[in-house]
Parts: sequence; structure tokens; C-alpha cells
Amino acid sequence: MSVAFNSIKGLTFYDITRAYVGVTMLIPVDGEEVWLIDMLGNTVHSWKTRHKPIYGNLLPNGNLLYMGQVDNGPLVDLEGAGGSLQEVDWDGNVVWEYNEPYLHHAFDRTEKGNTLVLRWLEVPKEIAARVKGGDAGTEREGVMWGDAIQEITPKGTIAWEWIGHEHLDPDVDIACPICPRCGWTHANAVTELPDGDILVSFMQTNVIAIIDKRTGDVKWRYGGPAGELAHQHSPTVLDNGNFLIFDNGLHPRGLAKGFSRILEVNPSSGKIVWGFGGNWPEPKELFYSPTMGSCQRLSNGNTFVCESTTGRLFEMSMKGDLVWEYVNNLPSYETSLARSKSCPVFCAFRYGMDYSGLKRPVTRYERRREPRPGTTEEEGGVKEAAVVSRLERLGY
Amino acid sequence: MNIAQTALWGVTYYNPLKSSGGYTLFSPIGISYTSGKGEAWLIDMEGHIVNRWQFPYQCGLYGYLLPNGHIVYAAQSENVHQKYSLPFSFTGFGTEIIEQDWDGNVVRTVPIPRGSHDFMIMPNGNVMYICYGDEKGILPDELAAKWKGGIPAEGKEKLYGDNIYEVDEDGKIVWEWISYEHMDPEIDAMCPLEDRQQWHMNTLFRCRDGNILVSPRHLNEFFKMEYPSGKIIARYGRGKIFHQHDCKELDNGNFLVFDNGSHRHNYGAPYSRVVEIDPNTDEEVWEYKAEVPSDFYSSLMAGANRMPNGNTVICDSCSNSRIFEVTYEGELVWEYIVPLRVKQMEISVDNFNLIFRAPRYPSDYPGFKGKDLDPARFPWENQMYGPAAFKKSFVPRIF
Repeated sequence: MSVAFNSIKGLTFYDITRAYVGVTMLIPVDGEEVWLIDMLGNTVHSWKTRHKPIYGNLLPNGNLLYMGQVDNGPLVDLEGAGGSLQEVDWDGNVVWEYNEPYLHHAFDRTEKGNTLVLRWLEVPKEIAARVKGGDAGTEREGVMWGDAIQEITPKGTIAWEWIGHEHLDPDVDIACPICPRCGWTHANAVTELPDGDILVSFMQTNVIAIIDKRTGDVKWRYGGPAGELAHQHSPTVLDNGNFLIFDNGLHPRGLAKGFSRILEVNPSSGKIVWGFGGNWPEPKELFYSPTMGSCQRLSNGNTFVCESTTGRLFEMSMKGDLVWEYVNNLPSYETSLARSKSCPVFCAFRYGMDYSGLKRPVTRYERRREPRPGTTEEEGGVKEAAVVSRLERLGY
Repeated sequence: MNIAQTALWGVTYYNPLKSSGGYTLFSPIGISYTSGKGEAWLIDMEGHIVNRWQFPYQCGLYGYLLPNGHIVYAAQSENVHQKYSLPFSFTGFGTEIIEQDWDGNVVRTVPIPRGSHDFMIMPNGNVMYICYGDEKGILPDELAAKWKGGIPAEGKEKLYGDNIYEVDEDGKIVWEWISYEHMDPEIDAMCPLEDRQQWHMNTLFRCRDGNILVSPRHLNEFFKMEYPSGKIIARYGRGKIFHQHDCKELDNGNFLVFDNGSHRHNYGAPYSRVVEIDPNTDEEVWEYKAEVPSDFYSSLMAGANRMPNGNTVICDSCSNSRIFEVTYEGELVWEYIVPLRVKQMEISVDNFNLIFRAPRYPSDYPGFKGKDLDPARFPWENQMYGPAAFKKSFVPRIF
């Protein structure tokens, strides 16, 4: 336990004039709910989910699409195991679902209304033997698990499929030397690009890649064994065509980069055009989530980050100034992670007040949460009222 | 910026009934904004500053007390990277040992060129230190080619073996240990995620039998070197500890080591541990890790010492320089965030409070006998950095 690190919870910092006002969706680790909070950290809505949610999006139609972890899944011991993709309406009724025991991590709803999913797939033995990296004998029951990407139609059929080991090259896609060989690429994010190609993040090979939708070829890679990335998460494409990446900094080359970074990379030049963090040892950039994590560029140019393992969500300006910070204090459930005073969060996203998915008026104080005992969180009524009236004057 | 984890400074938790008490010494790596000097501060359990030493150069490593109440301190008196054109991955230089008495009078200075990471005063007054980047330690090409592990160099970079030297009071080398002559390219394999540049030795500890414990970080082991023959007589911790620091012999004969856990072979969040190892079996007999392991992680530096009542005082360097004490059962009984912010000259970092180690001395330590430990001697320091200076509660900042 650390008093200094784990005792300040709730909203800690809010620059009203510079923050991107909206509603924040967050998914605590080992919770059974997906939460929406307002800018002051009050919960405004929550969904009780059938399975433990590990990733979710609020869709433009107001429904929540989430990946749920099925308790008795076949690979539940691998990080990021899912199994059930569910779309629920505002009131929590399931309107669509797709169940497949080997689903994991993230998904993306495409322009056409299909859903891209990640699925674990056994790597054939003869290919697995050629994969480099990792300690010999650390396969899972002798099996190395690779990735497939599938496009699922609303009817639940597979419209398109990409099998990782058919397109990856064991001599190029070299796995991290100190990760177990139960995985090869360990994908953790998939996104449809505006031109229809697929952007995918391979955590275990430290690569983000573009997959040609027509041929399945890996047509662009960033990272790799001696590259910039270290077990990254959450790559997204920005309006300017650049990619925003959460570079976790787990198992980095050397130790100077033992801290996380947010990187904006120009795909044509392969150069980092903007970054935050990793400037260790500057204490003001103390920022590290070795696993999980998400990041998002907001439409006012700010960047919203979920530092997952500490449960800290923050928003910063282009210059790196903090404009909003909140530390998760929502209840989560039984496992050891959740019992600690650090309340980790899988991922979090900010939706502006004009987002079409927020169809219902989001009322404050719909549900109040109890502050966790032993923390210094304060919810001063007077201060809240002042902030609310100021927000109203500003037109929110 | 991180408000939530940097807002609380000073003593944040103290359970006097279970703490072993005593005084903690720390030296942030840099120079003070106000004095322009390197600093070493001694605090009591409530966070009062009870002694303060100042040195003409920035702190390179750390300082520790001698049983006569003197302090020895490794200062960085020269810009090593510039002078010897060393790679920037070679870090942690303290190039001059300064000894001062309780009142800050200089007793002696001993230059230790390219001294790095650790030093110790031998019983005869000599200084033993680790030297990085000495040409004498460069591995011959055929031996370097045989060495297992590491990321191969892209150009013609050399593999430096870190050497250990012993110098007398005038700085003359009286004993030297060229590491690669005694190490084994098969057994002493490097971590696969480190560049093949050096072993990164970071600890020297003299055991009661006169032999020396040495901790090469990139080899994920520490070993006992026979002194003065230089032969490696035992290796410890391989496969259990990763990028360890601060190995030492305890009164019970076991070894205590800070297992940083960086580049530990697994998925999942890295975490640090403090481990007690039985030297006869190389088995772990005690460990401390946080209830949620990733809550306690220092990727670099750090150390631990065992107190007479069985508690362990841990320096968690990378977590905003957090020093804390746990009981043998692992319960937190004291926690302190180093509040003194300094300027780091070489890498030009401001507002820096990083510390390498934080030795704790029991109240009955011989060095304190007859010494004035009254915080009233340092009114300004206590007003700025003492217990009254820091709020214990936190109010969200909304503006």
C-alpha cells in the first residue's frame, strides 16, 4: 500500500476553460458495470453488464457495445480474454450479441455496420517453431496462440477474415524476448481506417500495422524489435491521418524508457510528430501504465488518457498542460486487483456534450456513489454549485 | 502533470508503535536551488530535519554515515560523459568521495575518476569503488563475441566490463579487479533487452568474512567475490531477481536484495520486491511485495535495509522518491516522500527529487552519540520542508 500514491481519489484538477466538456465512459477492472461520469466526477449513468466488461464504446446510436469476459472461457488465463460481444441499449437491454469463446480485447464497429473483432487462433506447429523470441518451453500446454481478425455482420456471419500466421513473417514479426511463447502477436486493438484498410496493434511484437483489406498483406509496420514501441495499446487514426498510440513502456529496450508515452506518429514519414511522457525522470511527467491503457484525441485538440493501472484519467492540452484529472474510485469487485486502493480502469473515453450517442439528457446526480473509506476525496456542495453555474454561463 | 500522485509530500503515514524509529538520510541527485550545492539531509521519524550537510558539487550517488558520526558522500565533480565521451546509457557517476564530520567540516576528499553507482570505505580507510567506461575493462573482441545475451551492437560499440578499484587516501590504485577476467561468458549471460555495452554493476558490499558482494544489474544475479584474489566464489538469485540493486549481508547471515523486477520474464505489470536469500541454498526465505504487486515498482535505483526489530526500510526511488518502512509481515508503518526538489545539472532536469538510496539508522547508532539532534538548529529548513509544511488533506483544484 502507498498512502502517497493511492489515497487521493475522485476529481483532483479541472480547468473549466480549457477542458473538453463532456461525459466520460470508464470501465473499471473487475467491475460488472460500465460507468458514465460528468466533468466533476459524478456518475450520471451506468450499465450493469452480464459479463465482466473489458472494453467498450458508446455508439452514435446511443447503445453501448462492450466486450465481456466469459468466466469459464477456454483461455481465460491469457490477458485480455473476452468471449462475448454485446450491444445494449441505454436501459441495458441486449439488442445484439456475438459469442465466440476465443474473442479477446477490443473491437471496432465499421462504417457499414459490421464489427471487427480479434480472435485467438492456434499457430500451426511448424510455423510456431520458426517464431523467434520468448523463452523456450513457455508455450501454453505446448500451444502458441496467434491472432485472427474477423468482420462480423449484424446477422452474426463472418464477412471477412484475416488469419495472422498466413500473412505474418516469423523473421520480421519477432516476439518480445521476455514474454512467454503462449502468444505470438497478442493483438490488443483493431480499427477500420477511412480507406477501408485495417489498423491493428500487435502487443507482443511491439508493432502497429496496416493490413490491406483486399489482399490481407501487412502493408505497413511501425515499431518492431528495435523500434519505438514497447507493448503499446489503443492506436487510433486522427483527422489529420496521423496515428495516436499509447506506448506503455513495458519490456522496453534498456531502462530509460520505463515509463509510458503518448505518441502521435505520421504514417508516411514514420516520425513522431507529437509526444507526451517518457521524459523520465521529470517528476511532473510521472505517468506509467505498463499494461492496458487508452488514449483519445479530442476535437478541441486536447488529448484524453486513461492511465489504467493507477486508475488515473487525465486530459491535457497540446502543450502537455494538465486540464482535467480524475482518479477512479468506483466500486469494483472480488479480485485482488480491485481490493487494493488503486482502482485500475481498463479504458476510458470522453464523449462531447454534442455526441449523438448521448440522446438522453445526461442529468447530474442520477446515481451518487459513496466515497471509498479512508480516502481524502471531498465533494463540497458549494464548490459544485459554483462550478455548475459557471458551466451554464459558458453555455454547457 | 500528475496531481494525484505528487500532491502529498513529507511524512504521509507513521505508526510509532510498530516502527523501528531512528533517522533517515537522503541526498537528492542534483544541487539545491537555494544553496547551489549538493545536499544530504537527516530526518527524524516525523520528518523534522535534524542535520544538513552541504557539498560543493551535485550529489552523484548518495551519502552514508560512519560510526563516528561522519558522512561520506559521492559527489559528481566532473561531466564524465563529456570528458571521456561515454555513451549516455552509462549513468550514475560520483567522481569524488567527500567525508565531512557531523558539523560539516571537510575531513578528506578522495577522487575516484569515472566512479559510478557504489563506493565503500574499507576498514583501513581505503576507498573501493566501481569504475565505468575504463578502457582497461573493454572486453577483447573474441571474448565479447562469445558473451551470451543482450542486444547486439549495431556499430563498433565496445562491450565494457565494469571494473572495481581500491584506492588509498591519495587516490592511488592499490588493488584492481578487471571484471571479465573473472566472469564466465556462458553463465553470466546478459538480459536479452539490454544493449551489449556493460554489466551495469551497481552495488559493493563487504561481508563479515571480508569478501565482496557485487551486483551487475544486466546479468540478473549478484555474486560473492573473494577479496583480494578476485575469484567469484558464488552466484545468487539467477532466475529469481531482475535488475536488482543494493544486495547486502544481514546480521543473521542471509542476504537482502532489492529485486527491481524490470525486464522480469512474464506478461503483466512489472513489480518490485525486497527479497531475503539464504546464501547456503540460494532460496528465498522472505519477500516483501505490495498487496497488488504493481503498486510498488521502481524500475531503476532503489534499495532496502533491515532494522534491528525486523522491519525493512525501503527506498522506492522511481515513485516520486518514496521511502517507506514495513514490518516483517509486510504492514506499512511509515511513509515519506522526499520534499527537497533540486536541479540536476547534467541532464538539466528541474524540480527533481530523485534519490538513489536512503539509509535509516537506529536511534542508538554510535554515530549519534553525543551529537546534537535538535531540529531547532535548522529553523528555516523545518519551516519549508518539515512536518508543518505539508497539508495532510487534499482539496480538488477547480478553477
